[in-house]
Amino acid sequence: MDCENTRELKMREKENMAEEKKMVIKVVGLKKSFHVGIQDIPVLYGINLEITEGEFVLLVGPSGCGKSTLLHSIYGLENPTEGTVFIEEEDIWSRTKDWRAHFRNHFIGFIPQQPFWIKSLTVIENIAIPGVIAGRTFDESIVIAAKLIELVGMGKWADHRPFDLSGGQQQRIALARSLLLDPKFLIADEPTGNLDFRSGEELMTLVRNISQQFKITILMVTHNTDQYKFGSRIVNMVDGQITSDIINKQSLSKLEEMGEVKKTGETKIVA
Amino acid sequence: MSFFSHQKKNEIARTQKVRTRFSHMRISSVLFIGYRNMFANRMRSILTIGGVAIGIGVITLLISLGFGVQEMVIHEVTKNNPSDIIDITNKSLESFVLLDKNTLERIRGIDGIEQVEIRSSIGGKLFQGDSQTDVVINAVSRHYLDLARSDVSQTLREKIFTEPEGILITPKLANLLGFENPSESIGKTIEYSAVVTDDMLADVEDVPEETPKNEHENMVTIVGIINDQTKDDAVYAYISIEEIRERYGGVTGQFAKARVKNESSIESVRLQIEQTAFVTESVIDTIADINSFFLIVRSILIVFGVIIMSISAMGMLNTLSISLLQRTKEVGILKALGTKRTDIFKIFIFEAFLISFLGGIIGLVFGYGAARGVNYLMNIFAIRYGVVASSFVEVPTAFVISIVIFIFFLGLITGIFPAMRASKIHALEALRYE
Repeated sequence: MDCENTRELKMREKENMAEEKKMVIKVVGLKKSFHVGIQDIPVLYGINLEITEGEFVLLVGPSGCGKSTLLHSIYGLENPTEGTVFIEEEDIWSRTKDWRAHFRNHFIGFIPQQPFWIKSLTVIENIAIPGVIAGRTFDESIVIAAKLIELVGMGKWADHRPFDLSGGQQQRIALARSLLLDPKFLIADEPTGNLDFRSGEELMTLVRNISQQFKITILMVTHNTDQYKFGSRIVNMVDGQITSDIINKQSLSKLEEMGEVKKTGETKIVA
Repeated sequence: MSFFSHQKKNEIARTQKVRTRFSHMRISSVLFIGYRNMFANRMRSILTIGGVAIGIGVITLLISLGFGVQEMVIHEVTKNNPSDIIDITNKSLESFVLLDKNTLERIRGIDGIEQVEIRSSIGGKLFQGDSQTDVVINAVSRHYLDLARSDVSQTLREKIFTEPEGILITPKLANLLGFENPSESIGKTIEYSAVVTDDMLADVEDVPEETPKNEHENMVTIVGIINDQTKDDAVYAYISIEEIRERYGGVTGQFAKARVKNESSIESVRLQIEQTAFVTESVIDTIADINSFFLIVRSILIVFGVIIMSISAMGMLNTLSISLLQRTKEVGILKALGTKRTDIFKIFIFEAFLISFLGGIIGLVFGYGAARGVNYLMNIFAIRYGVVASSFVEVPTAFVISIVIFIFFLGLITGIFPAMRASKIHALEALRYE
């Protein structure tokens, strides 16, 4: 029995080694405190995290645990108090604001929790915005936007105003916008937070399919345990620290079995 | 950890050494976003652009009328008074000095004088059949009209000297003599009489030896019609002073016009003439008076303009500040998606330029149009009251350039603060803004 187990473990190690992919995001000793009055309120306590190419990482945890702050630090919007973030070997926090802006624009797609739009522009023009920011014309960017709006199944809404659409439809548009410049990474801050169950499931399915189709590495914050099944990896945070980091190769039921693991803060691989 | 620390140091060093050039939004895209934002807030944009347009329009209207009237007055004053001509008149009736032979010789002897011509305005009557009318007969020396009436053709000016007993009359005078169409009067012989008193006579040049005294034998032929420059109903005539002298003896000049050889010497020449007890006038004095008057007018208009534009500018600043507050989340998402600070700055500053330039151009066009409208209405009244219609709308190129510079600075000043504020907003704070 023991022999069988040992053999199985060795085989898994071999499998894991074969599957080892390029590390694309590395968070190193990330700490963040906010000044409130005369007090410094710590939010992140030295986060270390590595994400490899093609992963669909779900960052989960209770409200106020610091997952959005971590996400924003990785995205280059929230300046860490200590530590740094490497994306594809670039230390993004040693660079200038304009460099980070350029990097976000060209390499990272972003889906915020609430859909934010340029109100005066149509849906398709809003999708084209990252291209316009990158120095392309509206016409050039709209050509790509037209393909993406079809990809997310919203073609007939192209000439409407974004706020004419439902929450789920707006998040689909936000997904299309995030893909405009063919990003390597997708960062999403609770994109299903304001959606009903069905819309949330549809959006998550769409995100997973697109990530697989275009081989995009995804880091997503979510509250919704029903969506754990979409992630290839679940990183749980409590009180500014990572308490578990789970590779999810099968299903939610298997993940739920690891409830003990989450509590103890160990990292386990679920086969 | 150590690998990353080492790499971080290298990265910092590289960042410090190499200044990367990043792509920026195109100006066309920035303008498109500004235009769409203005279109999305139509009423607000119309009111703001309208405010600027009214301000610029009122300034354009006032200034173009101001310059136009100034130009018109100067033109009217100078068209028969070239700047090298000096008008010589008497100070007052009490100390009246006739322009007799000696006086004229003295004036002609002044260094710098090229030519002196005289005129004597005499009251009189013209008779045509049963019609008779009172008239001012201007008896002029040979080249007086050359100095005084450059608007009259050379041929017409010469006619009263080349044709025997010729007279030039105004159209109204022809009407009064019974000619409905003034041109019908040309070639007709009429009788005239002039009231010449003894104190108008003196020792003059070329005085004829025999002087007929019978007033009713004074026959002249109308050789041309001469329009007055300002009034259609003016009643006067020009006749050769030799003709008058033949009939009435040595009629002297009451007024003279002197041409100087060199315009720059005009002041010293005037001084010397004034030492001979005359008063001199030059168009230069008049132009200086006109200019100083219009300078005051323009200064008042500028004060009005500044007040109006301050109100427009405050309206614009208010609009742009509200626009920024309403678009804080837009700034947030643009920054989150990678827009550089300079591009955010451009979006707001170009929107301010769009408002100021649209308002400015509309204001310029409508201000000029309104001035033309005022001109048109005034001309209708002028024609009704017998005054010659004229154009008094003038928009100098310098004014247009000034307005363009002004609206550029209006956009810059009103746009720079919201634009700077927008470019400095932290993306996350902007996204959280309520």
